[in-house]
Amino acid sequence: MQARLSRRRRAWWLPEIPKSALMRRRMLWAYAFVAAPVVALLVFLLGPILFSGWVSLHRWDMLSPVSEMPWRGLSNYRYLLTKDPVFLKSLGNTFFFAIGGVGANTILGLGFALLLNSRIRGRAIWRVLYFMPVITAPLALAVMFAFIFDRNYGLVNNVITAIGLPRQPFLSGPNQALLTLVFIAVYQFVGYYIVLFLAGLQGIPQDYYDAAQVDGAGKLQEFRYITLPLLRPVMLFVVVTNTIGALQVFDLVFATTGGAPANSSMTVVLHMYNTAFKFSRMGRASAMAFILFGIILLITIVQVRLLRDRAYQD
Amino acid sequence: MRTQRMLTGLLLCLLLIMGAAAAAQDTTLTMLTHWGTEGQLAAQQAIIDAYMEANPEVAIELVTVDFGELRTKIITGRTAGISADVYHFYHLWLPDFVNAGVLAEPPQDSLTYINDNVAQGTIDAVSTSDGQTWGYPTEVNPYLLVYNKRLLAEAGYDAPPANWEELKEIAAAITQVDDTGAISQLGLGVMAGWDSGIVHPFSALLFSNGGAYLSEDRTIAEFNSAEGVETLQLYADLVANGGTDASISGLGDFPSGTVGMVIMAPWWRATLRAAEGIDFDTEVGVAEIPVGPSGDAPSSIAYTWLFAVDSNSPNKPAAWDFIHWMNAEQEAGAGSAIGDFLVNALGAIPSFNHDQAAFAESMSDHYVSAFVAASAYAQPEQIVAGGQEIKTLLQVEIEAVLAGMTNPEEALASVEMQANAILEEHRMMAEE
Repeated sequence: MQARLSRRRRAWWLPEIPKSALMRRRMLWAYAFVAAPVVALLVFLLGPILFSGWVSLHRWDMLSPVSEMPWRGLSNYRYLLTKDPVFLKSLGNTFFFAIGGVGANTILGLGFALLLNSRIRGRAIWRVLYFMPVITAPLALAVMFAFIFDRNYGLVNNVITAIGLPRQPFLSGPNQALLTLVFIAVYQFVGYYIVLFLAGLQGIPQDYYDAAQVDGAGKLQEFRYITLPLLRPVMLFVVVTNTIGALQVFDLVFATTGGAPANSSMTVVLHMYNTAFKFSRMGRASAMAFILFGIILLITIVQVRLLRDRAYQD
Repeated sequence: MRTQRMLTGLLLCLLLIMGAAAAAQDTTLTMLTHWGTEGQLAAQQAIIDAYMEANPEVAIELVTVDFGELRTKIITGRTAGISADVYHFYHLWLPDFVNAGVLAEPPQDSLTYINDNVAQGTIDAVSTSDGQTWGYPTEVNPYLLVYNKRLLAEAGYDAPPANWEELKEIAAAITQVDDTGAISQLGLGVMAGWDSGIVHPFSALLFSNGGAYLSEDRTIAEFNSAEGVETLQLYADLVANGGTDASISGLGDFPSGTVGMVIMAPWWRATLRAAEGIDFDTEVGVAEIPVGPSGDAPSSIAYTWLFAVDSNSPNKPAAWDFIHWMNAEQEAGAGSAIGDFLVNALGAIPSFNHDQAAFAESMSDHYVSAFVAASAYAQPEQIVAGGQEIKTLLQVEIEAVLAGMTNPEEALASVEMQANAILEEHRMMAEE
């Protein structure tokens, strides 16, 4: 009776204390080991996030003491959403980059994975070729493409002018810079998504296709009613992770255009970097980080709901 | 047991040796600069070695980063509590650093030495509006028109342009476009993507057109004037007549001999001397900035850099002593160590009078001598809190005009509004 009462009194989050001294000692050690990563997580992950949130409500140049940051309330957020044309432009550019990149990576990734899953010659070589850009340093790729897409000396322009098409500005053109960046990003990452889709395809039992063939299904019907539904968990992972990565794009833009010409390829994270380190406006940059975080969270929730429910239903 | 004793003994010996070494050099200074090429590193290290030989109790560590990362390095270093003792930085950042308490005030001896040996205009460039000087000025960089004599001659011109009509005419005549639309040769090169490379040449042209950047009291932007619009219209006209194109880099392609003209600073001499596409002695010419329709005489802009000490440095006296040693004349008529470095390793103009006298011969070549002459009339870049942000905003709008995305009136009106808001914000913060 007494034991039952004491168990009732114990708060829900408190562990049950073992009676044996050995077990108590073991439990203490277990908690000590768990405490180390928990403390590291709090200090190095949660701490900076909370600090960044606090900074976003202030004006801070990173040089003055933190204790002297002037309070600005929500004015950093208000400024970004109503008065900063570069932020709004970069937000639009980032969405364009994400939609273009995710769409192309998903369609091309699945398409190439289907090809590689069929009985084509030299499958291993194709897989290596598609995956090579993934393991290449992003900055090296960016510099290489800056040369390839150069308006005057670039390889691509040499090819298209040789076949009679007009020379294009690509990265130096305000209407083409962003589209060219999407192309480079797709080239860089499509191999990774091919591998994911390929793994998903190889996990689909052959029995389903055999049964469908017995029922007289064609290739398109097999794809529509077997492959696509069973690939939805992979699709969910591809779309969500690719969207998050695309919305945070930085290195590629930093190394190729730097947001030029005239901010036509500026993205949110690059604008955030410039605002923080070039203009010493850490409060405004932190507010950008939180707005971007909110957008990513919202989009991810929508994507997960849309794709997960159907995946489980199927 | 014996092994344990031996290990303990070894550890003690090691600690003793390290302690002795630390006692021998009881002051360690870190110097942060942006001079990072192999030759520049060796020249700086030679200066440091000479100082350490004369002052064995001081150890100096040199850290260099690219110019594009220098401000970030200073800011993040201070935030992380690992800031350098001695900085060499661009004077436009001075008001921001001073407002944030980054810099230590120089000792009176240093201030007296600077006042006695540097021209007042250069001292003003490293001082805040309250008259406080914050460090030893180093290079002075006015901008001039650097041109390729061979390309001008091939286009039928034996003299550089003296006004904007000539500039447009010569630039268009030099430009060559092949059948496929590729630009194989360009008249006037711009330096898109680099704020100083865009805004300094624009300012040099603006001043040569009788315009101003900021008001004299530096409280409002003045580049959105009739003179400013004319200056930006010049860029639009040059794009329209093919005289310039932002897809060609003046900085990269002038040394390769495919750009006819570029508006640039003296420190480029080392690059031009080493260039394979242009002969420095016979093909590189330097001329005054062409005068605009509203201007009456050539003018230019000049910026400078300075050595200063971090206010958090635990070794401020040693840091100031080192800076003074680098900038002071060791022997009468011999010039300073930094003066020698600036003139001979960089091709820049030193700030100190004794260096200008000692290295007069090295600065007498056809390239640097023109910049020395221009430094007498070039207007110092106006430094103000938020100046870097205003400069970047202006760079973006000039590039928008070059890309045909906007017109000069709209571009300058947009930057003026934002620049005035930034100036107002910093004024209010100073009052807080």
